[in-house]
Amino acid sequence: MGLLDNLNDAATKKETLDNLPINPTQITIDKILSPTEAIVSNNKVILAGTNNYLGLTFSPECISAGHEALEAEGTGTTGSRMANGTYSGHLDLETEIAQLFNMNHAMVFSTGYSANLGTLVALLGRDDVALIDSEAHASLYDGCRLSGADVLRFKHNDPESLEKRLKRLGERAKSTLVIVEGLYSIRGDCAPLEEFIELKNRYGCYILVDEAHSLGLFGETGAGLASERGVIDSTDFIVGTFSKSLGSIGGFCVSNHKETSIFKYSSRPYIFTASPSPSVVATTRAALQLMKKGTHLRKKAWDNANDLHGRLSAIGLNIGQIISPIVGASFNDDNLGYSFWSKLLELGVYTNLILPPAAPDGGSVIRCSVTAAHSRAQIGSIGDAFARVAESLGLGKAA
Amino acid sequence: MKENELLERVKEVVQQFADPNRKVEHDTAFVKDLGLESIQIIEMLCEIEDAFDLVIGESELSDVVTVADLSAVVEKNLR
Repeated sequence: MGLLDNLNDAATKKETLDNLPINPTQITIDKILSPTEAIVSNNKVILAGTNNYLGLTFSPECISAGHEALEAEGTGTTGSRMANGTYSGHLDLETEIAQLFNMNHAMVFSTGYSANLGTLVALLGRDDVALIDSEAHASLYDGCRLSGADVLRFKHNDPESLEKRLKRLGERAKSTLVIVEGLYSIRGDCAPLEEFIELKNRYGCYILVDEAHSLGLFGETGAGLASERGVIDSTDFIVGTFSKSLGSIGGFCVSNHKETSIFKYSSRPYIFTASPSPSVVATTRAALQLMKKGTHLRKKAWDNANDLHGRLSAIGLNIGQIISPIVGASFNDDNLGYSFWSKLLELGVYTNLILPPAAPDGGSVIRCSVTAAHSRAQIGSIGDAFARVAESLGLGKAA
Repeated sequence: MKENELLERVKEVVQQFADPNRKVEHDTAFVKDLGLESIQIIEMLCEIEDAFDLVIGESELSDVVTVADLSAVVEKNLR
């Protein structure tokens, strides 16, 4: 087998997707109009498949902060945080992130992916164990693998499955990091953090919570699920991203463990990459302030979530009982999932089609997300489009 | 569940941890034949527990070397 033959599996997947009338992985947004609308293939669509939960991407405060930073500090830092790439804005952002979580140490990374990779490779060694939720994000798995630690999976959101593994690890539990997410991105379900923390305390292991999707949506100041559940002081490490509720790009890690300050000297994904641009740092900091005082934005996002969940439940699709700004409609048949998704797009509603192996439990999932920026009329239009497609395909109550 | 069915189910679970080219038999040894490391054995045992909905005590595993040994422990716990 030659070097390029390694790509055969990916090439087969690409061919399958390319043969579809619309390749769901290659959608281009020709023109973005607002946090909730865009032009796709000459059609105006409602965006119901983003991570823009607070709808801040067009916030005048953030845009103005970005403009000012561009004028004052230029387009990029051209260097690593360890060399010429640390500006005062990076340090200010780290201070503000640490304050948000009431933690002593914070690190800012260039992306959410590198935050997860960089934290895990700095934290885990070859003799350690990563005990990771089976539905955790790929970046968390990649970080575990790159660290060289032993990796064990436990059943999604299942404290019993976690405990079984901790028990078997015996003394090794003390060098084990449990890795979970706050809010899961496909079906919108939350981790039972209180139960996980109780196990962590009982077995003497550590826990890392990825608040990528929960930041902005949970907690009085939007600090995430650990904050809302009152377990932030017992959480060893929190990682997250600026590219969802904060409408920017970048990632972070916070902790009260003093050793976190050493990560800056050992985390290769942190060291060997250019630091975030000044304008990115500026928009993130502006969004952070809006998020902290954004109780009204959180309320709007959750009101929209309730509204959409009610509408989709009434149609009779398989969306589960959990109400959150992320709604996942599951289909056993991939072709049916694709047909549903493409018909929604024709009707002017953009959602995300999740296909195996990314979809949990096989099959396919249409991921629909709502934001604080969606109007009630837009939620109504999304619900109507789902109802029309379900009827045309004979699904749900139309079956 | 009949003894044979049980052994086949155990073999299926163990096969997930073996090299795809290596067929798992009743006398396949976890360490000597499959080269499993301790962390893989932990994972395999957890999968077995999940598959049969039971809990296997550490003391029951001291003499377990092969698939047949493990199947016998599972059978005892299912009784």
